[in-house]
Amino acid sequence: MIQTIDISSYSVITDAIRSEARRILSDSTVSAVIGYTAGRRKGSTQPIVITTADEADKLLFSAACLNDLVVYLTKAKKDVPKSGRIGIVVKGCDLKAVIGLLGESQLKRENLYLIGIPCSGVLGSLLKPSAELTTKTIASKCCECTDRLPVGCDFVPAVTPAPLPDLEKRYANEISQLEAMTPSERWEFWKEQFSKCIKCYACRQVCPFCFCEQCLCDRNRPQMVEQTPRPSGNTAWHLVRAMHLAGRCAGCGECERVCPMDIPLNLLNRKMAKELKELFNSEAGFEVRDTGPLTSYREDDDQSFIR
Amino acid sequence: MHSAKPRHDFEPKIIAFVCTWCTYAGADLAGTSRMQYPSNVRVLKFPCTGRIDPVFIIKAFQQGADGILVSGCHPGDCHYIAGNYHARRRFAAFRKLLEFIGVDLNRIQFSWVSAAEGGKWVEVVTDLTERVRAMGPMVEFKDLILEEQWSGGLNNPELQAVYEAM
Repeated sequence: MIQTIDISSYSVITDAIRSEARRILSDSTVSAVIGYTAGRRKGSTQPIVITTADEADKLLFSAACLNDLVVYLTKAKKDVPKSGRIGIVVKGCDLKAVIGLLGESQLKRENLYLIGIPCSGVLGSLLKPSAELTTKTIASKCCECTDRLPVGCDFVPAVTPAPLPDLEKRYANEISQLEAMTPSERWEFWKEQFSKCIKCYACRQVCPFCFCEQCLCDRNRPQMVEQTPRPSGNTAWHLVRAMHLAGRCAGCGECERVCPMDIPLNLLNRKMAKELKELFNSEAGFEVRDTGPLTSYREDDDQSFIR
Repeated sequence: MHSAKPRHDFEPKIIAFVCTWCTYAGADLAGTSRMQYPSNVRVLKFPCTGRIDPVFIIKAFQQGADGILVSGCHPGDCHYIAGNYHARRRFAAFRKLLEFIGVDLNRIQFSWVSAAEGGKWVEVVTDLTERVRAMGPMVEFKDLILEEQWSGGLNNPELQAVYEAM
């Protein structure tokens, strides 16, 4: 049964973000605020960087605020002002990306002013941006989200999101379905998915953690990953991508959303997150850690698979 | 004189990624001790198991490997203090990824072989070779190489009709 999700708190959040942005910009706490503004189509939103208090009324928050704005803080995006402190609007999943980047020494906490959102969930896609948020249209990542209330932000609007109805755990179900298949059935599934890839690298561009200035997959001496959009290079690219994000991925699900060929990319990330939790009891959270599961070790790690 | 070697229909290609300080020396010991092991294994020497990137394994499969061996120093013996501990975690995760994608994990073997363990090297290589021989060639990645560009196939009736009209 499809149930509507109560997002009445979002208008209160919008007002709170606007007044807070106006305050921090006018007293020069920050030099810019990265947030969401209305997009061209009715109901849609797009990222915006504002630098004056007058522009604060452009900001908003709604169920169509899908973007993970943290990508604009990374080295890969050089057009956001780098001087002074930057304010940024973050949902719980985006905040985990900030925490991950802080742990990897890509950002400094004192250069950030975090405006956290008590989130009730966002839409799965912007195809129908003014659609009502229901148990059907909600993003898959939100169905498994356990971190709706951001922790450790500089400002959080004082609202309590309404309790959510029971949501189907889509990723967990799909992962267990795949795990129940035989290896050759799984191979067929992924072969079909990866052969759709057109190597547009949208997944890489939108990922807060893909900040390398020279991607391994762009190098051609030696060429580790074939660059043409053919099945073998596609498979290698997606395996490398999943591996490089293992233990780092914050679960914002942007890769999957921006994929023009609808490849279930976040499924790979969720699978790796699940495995790393089982193997090393490590998962993305709100606590800044200097090392991730694959950049640290214990002497008594499981080695039953090694002869 | 050596006894005559049995002939097989299929000789698997095994790529061994080994660390130079332990397993390479172990394999060297097996050689200088005149121990016999299958010639199917191609040894690639790395400074440390920590240098072995999962992408090398993917690349090896694409280039025609039927089995992969990754071998280095026992825990605590790493020349670079902790390279093998990091590798152990990385490959524990990478195995799970390959399994999820649908690669049979019996084709991949991880092992610790020290410089003194020539016998263990022979054992590991022989076991892996025989296991992969029984499994037959690794066709999945090779098939992908042979496949045309994703849009190149005449996989829908419209394209097929256009092609036939030409």
